[in-house]
Amino acid sequence: MSRLKISWIVIANIALMGVILAFVALYSSYERKENYRNQVEHFVNSTIAMEQVTGNYLEGEQRICDNWAQYINSRELTLEEAADFVRAAHAKSDTSVHVIDTETLTGFSTQPVANSADNYEVSYKRMDLLGDGSWIADLGTAINITRTYTNPISGEQSLAFCNRITVKDAETGEMKQAYLLRVVPISNLQEKWVFPQEEYENEDISIIDTESNYVIRGHSFKNASFFEFYKSYNQPGISVQQQLFEKILSETGSFTMLDSRGRECIAAHTPLTSTKGWVLLSLAPVSDLNANAENWTLVGVITFGLLLLLVMDFIYMHSFNKKLRVMAREAGAANKAKTDFLSTMSHDIRTPMNAIIGLTTIAEKKLDDQEAVAENLRKISLASNHLLTLINDILDISKVESGKLNMSPMTFSIVETVQNLMNLSQPMVKEKNIDFNFRINRMEKEYLYADQLRLNQIYINILSNAIKYTLPGGSVSVDLREEECEREGYIKLIYCVSDTGIGMSPEFMEKMYQPFSRQTDSRVNSIQGTGLGLAITRQMVELMDGTIDCRSEVGEGTTFIITLELPVAEKQLEEMKIDDVDVLIADDDPILLETAADTLESLGVRAEMARTGMEALKMARQRHESGKDYDVIILDWKMPEMNGVETISRIRAEISADIPILLTSAYDWSDIEDAAKEAGANGFIAKPLFRSKLYEKINELLGTEVKSLEQEDDYSDLAGMNILIAEDNVVNWKIISAMLSMFGITTERAENGRICVEKMAEAEEGSYDLIFMDVQMPEMNGLDATRSIRELDNKWASSIPIIAMTADAFSENVAECLKAGMNGHIAKPIDLSIVIKEIRRIKEEQGK
Amino acid sequence: MKKKLCTIRTTLLVIASLALSSQVMAESEDFQPMLDTDTSCEITVVGTYSNFEALEAEFDSFNDFYPNVELSYLKPDDYNNLLGTILESNSAPNIFFSGPWMFGNEQYTTAIDHMEDLSDPELGLDLECIRPSLLSYDADGQLGMVPIFARNYGMLVNKDLFEKEGLQVPTTWEELLAVCEAFLSKGYESPMMGYSADSSGCLMNILVYPEVLAALADHPEELQAANDMETSAGECMRGGLEAMMQLIDKGYINLEKCGEISDNYTEVILRFFEGDVPMMICTGDTVSGTGKRESQSEAFSKAPFTYIFVPIPLSETGGYFVDSPSVEFSVNKTCDNLDMTNEFMRFLITREELNKMASVKRLVTPTTDLSFDSVYEPFSQVPAERVLSPEVIGIKDPLAVQVRITAYLVGTGAVTIDEAVSKYGTFEE
Repeated sequence: MSRLKISWIVIANIALMGVILAFVALYSSYERKENYRNQVEHFVNSTIAMEQVTGNYLEGEQRICDNWAQYINSRELTLEEAADFVRAAHAKSDTSVHVIDTETLTGFSTQPVANSADNYEVSYKRMDLLGDGSWIADLGTAINITRTYTNPISGEQSLAFCNRITVKDAETGEMKQAYLLRVVPISNLQEKWVFPQEEYENEDISIIDTESNYVIRGHSFKNASFFEFYKSYNQPGISVQQQLFEKILSETGSFTMLDSRGRECIAAHTPLTSTKGWVLLSLAPVSDLNANAENWTLVGVITFGLLLLLVMDFIYMHSFNKKLRVMAREAGAANKAKTDFLSTMSHDIRTPMNAIIGLTTIAEKKLDDQEAVAENLRKISLASNHLLTLINDILDISKVESGKLNMSPMTFSIVETVQNLMNLSQPMVKEKNIDFNFRINRMEKEYLYADQLRLNQIYINILSNAIKYTLPGGSVSVDLREEECEREGYIKLIYCVSDTGIGMSPEFMEKMYQPFSRQTDSRVNSIQGTGLGLAITRQMVELMDGTIDCRSEVGEGTTFIITLELPVAEKQLEEMKIDDVDVLIADDDPILLETAADTLESLGVRAEMARTGMEALKMARQRHESGKDYDVIILDWKMPEMNGVETISRIRAEISADIPILLTSAYDWSDIEDAAKEAGANGFIAKPLFRSKLYEKINELLGTEVKSLEQEDDYSDLAGMNILIAEDNVVNWKIISAMLSMFGITTERAENGRICVEKMAEAEEGSYDLIFMDVQMPEMNGLDATRSIRELDNKWASSIPIIAMTADAFSENVAECLKAGMNGHIAKPIDLSIVIKEIRRIKEEQGK
Repeated sequence: MKKKLCTIRTTLLVIASLALSSQVMAESEDFQPMLDTDTSCEITVVGTYSNFEALEAEFDSFNDFYPNVELSYLKPDDYNNLLGTILESNSAPNIFFSGPWMFGNEQYTTAIDHMEDLSDPELGLDLECIRPSLLSYDADGQLGMVPIFARNYGMLVNKDLFEKEGLQVPTTWEELLAVCEAFLSKGYESPMMGYSADSSGCLMNILVYPEVLAALADHPEELQAANDMETSAGECMRGGLEAMMQLIDKGYINLEKCGEISDNYTEVILRFFEGDVPMMICTGDTVSGTGKRESQSEAFSKAPFTYIFVPIPLSETGGYFVDSPSVEFSVNKTCDNLDMTNEFMRFLITREELNKMASVKRLVTPTTDLSFDSVYEPFSQVPAERVLSPEVIGIKDPLAVQVRITAYLVGTGAVTIDEAVSKYGTFEE
């Protein structure tokens, strides 16, 4: 098929080339003809100019002859005396003058006979030249010139200007008629008879008489007469010949003919007006007129150019096709990968969708069973989150591939990020029953300035991979530490995730950052994933100028280390100090134990460490017996031999019921909450043990008033708020409205941006506390609506907080919303906690 | 199909290439330039021909080797009288027409003095290609001239007219008379015609001269007297004159009609091409112009016919083939550019070039090939004993001139046969 197309292209090219060449040839032919016509015209004009020069010359020569004749006629000289007179008057050696008796056709010459010093006698008896002298006009009335003849004195071919004169008979003394001939050798004339124009200097000029005999014969002319010459080398019919000859003898013009060498020539002819019947005839080969050369050069150059173009086109097309074939193969492979990916996606999307739909159906049928409904809703939530992750990954990779993945930095809390990470990973960890540790070391700077969304994505991608590819019973540990950075105002955040999972082969490691790559292993075939996580992660790390390293061995596990240099936010927590407090912390993970103790000591707390529950019990007993109980005991839940809950039970039973005890774990608190409370735990603190968390919890247990860092279950501050929600979708509006109503927040709906602007323009001051603004709406979108609101005259209205609530969840979408004048961004599907948090943030900012 | 075409094309190309290369090779074998081919000079040939296209064709061929040599031919006025002056002039020609008749004539002393010895081996002329009878060495063994064409005498015969009238071309005197009578009876006013306006080239000389040569060949003892213009030698003309007069008297040659032909060359040819003349008496020089004039004759173009040139059978045994030089070239040994002139002669005097010239000119070649144009085909039938060479016989120019004048005078009725015989040697132009 492609060959067929190439053939058609080549044929089309050749056809086009043919058309161009035909046009050039036609145009060239037209130009050539025009040029040729001009050249011929110029040549004819030059011949006419030569005719005038010739006429002037002949007239001049004739005048000389006339003067001599006048003198002789006035003096009654004999033939010999006349010859002597002219000889004396005419000193030129290359011409001679003959004085000839009209009756005897003999006379005297001014020059002696060749090879004779004193013989001046000359005879024209045997020449058919002067027999009939009637053609010689009266003195001074015309140019009388002979044909070319052989000078009987010199033997040279010559012309003679003639006059009839009267001389005295030497014997009788009577006056008689004689001829005066001024004889000029043809060779003299031929040397002078050339075109003055340089371009015609080699062209022939001839003069022919009425019989077409040459008076002067040019070099190219042959035969005795021109007509004979013409007939010898040209074969037109008799009538055509006759017409041509008549035309030559009577008109000025030109015609083409072949010369003796077969060359096409232009012959220009013009009658000599000063003589009777003579014609000036010039001959030039057509090639000398340059009528052809340029055009063919043009055609040749264009032909060559087009051929070159064709060849180059062909080569280019060939090369291009080759590249296209390679690209097509690559595209095919990519397409196959995408097809595979879509196939996978189909499966991966259907799986959570199946869960959502199935669980929803079950819940609908068990509406009376509140626990079952709650459990189903919880599972639906998990499946939804997974689905959301999947969709986000797909959207992200499209951004990655198009190179449009941008960063939108903002101030955020690394504690929140880790908390979020923990929350997200808990279900998986719990499901797979793997040992999970999350360690924090010296996280002094809690607020950083970066794209939190992307950072979350990086960390969760790496962590979720580790959990996914770790078999039940294995372990996953995360180390997050802060190091000093050379760049001022930055910290170096090192995130290290190690697992004891299936590991990766070196071959796979080479392509693991390519999109749609997933490690295949019979043990993990059931593992859900897009194959995009690592590709997105690396892209994001690089965008944040960080590094990602990986060490892995098949069957041994994998370690990913991500190092990012992040700017420290201006906002930081106030000075946290707890003086004079003894804390016992127990954990079987020595590293976590060390880092936790270190963190506690940085708060000013005296920390003691126990590696097991039993050791903690023992140490608590000793302290109790010494009368100085620990102020707070922090116990890890999962410890060998005796876990945290059992240890609490023993402490409560054997030592004291009053010592504040916190249970800590990297696992979901809800699973052990009941058991822990029953055992006597005073609270729970999730791993990793951030400084701020420890500070807050310890103070809480000790009953010290501290400024709450975060409000948790008290939503009374939200009650009574009225929020305007711009949302075109009724379902979405109902969902958000219903959610907010649970917190005592009232809402009003604007069906699109325009209505929202109108409502704000008409609203009384304080009618709304803030606006949740969808972005993509009919009539007027959220961005334009925001801009319009910001331009309202009413100061309250124009400054009302506006939070984007949209499915456009990319960083650039967030940036676009902020640029339009919005105060925040919440991505759909909405997370209620985030919504509440955002409302509170707004309130707090308003309060300030 | 494409493959076949490609093969054919390739084959043709190969053949064309071979043909071209062989042609070039043949040319280079024929003539190898001995001088600088870039030489630029002029060479002039003078002669009595008004027109010499065959020579001009040779000029063109020579220019293939020496493109910058400018060659020209011209006919001076009063050639025979002015030749000496011309050869002494400032524009003396390089080559000039000559003939054996120049020897012994004082008028041509200067011309003979200017003749280069062309037998000089250093010149490289291929003299062996020329029939020996046509080479005129002088007493010193020098060769002042080389023949370019051979002359012959005869008549143009319109074969179609003969066929139309159911007649055969005559080969004997009796047949000639019978054919003439037959044509006359069929309404042809002059079965035989020719130029008769003056003695030069006149039909009378063409009829009589071969008979005079035959008579002198048969009676060599009379040759000396004939050459010496002794009146006693007049009898050698009688046979020829009587035959001529018989044709005229019987009306077979209508001199009144012949008088309408104004020159002995073009007009003779064009009159013959009118198509109503069975036999046109002329020399080979005139026949040379027939080819070119076929297209110039409106009558011939409209109604072309086949024609041949045959010996005129004025005796019972047929006609004669007079093998004599028509035109000979002499090199002016004092001319400018003598080296290039000799180079041109070396180019020209070869079998190929002479035959080519003869073919173009439609004259009989002087080479040993004796190759004939188809028009001359009948002359190839002439037996050796009827081929006459004036030079071999020893005919001098005055004798030839005397015969020409006498024949003309008798033919036109100015003198009788008896007067012509008895006053041999006394007639002048």
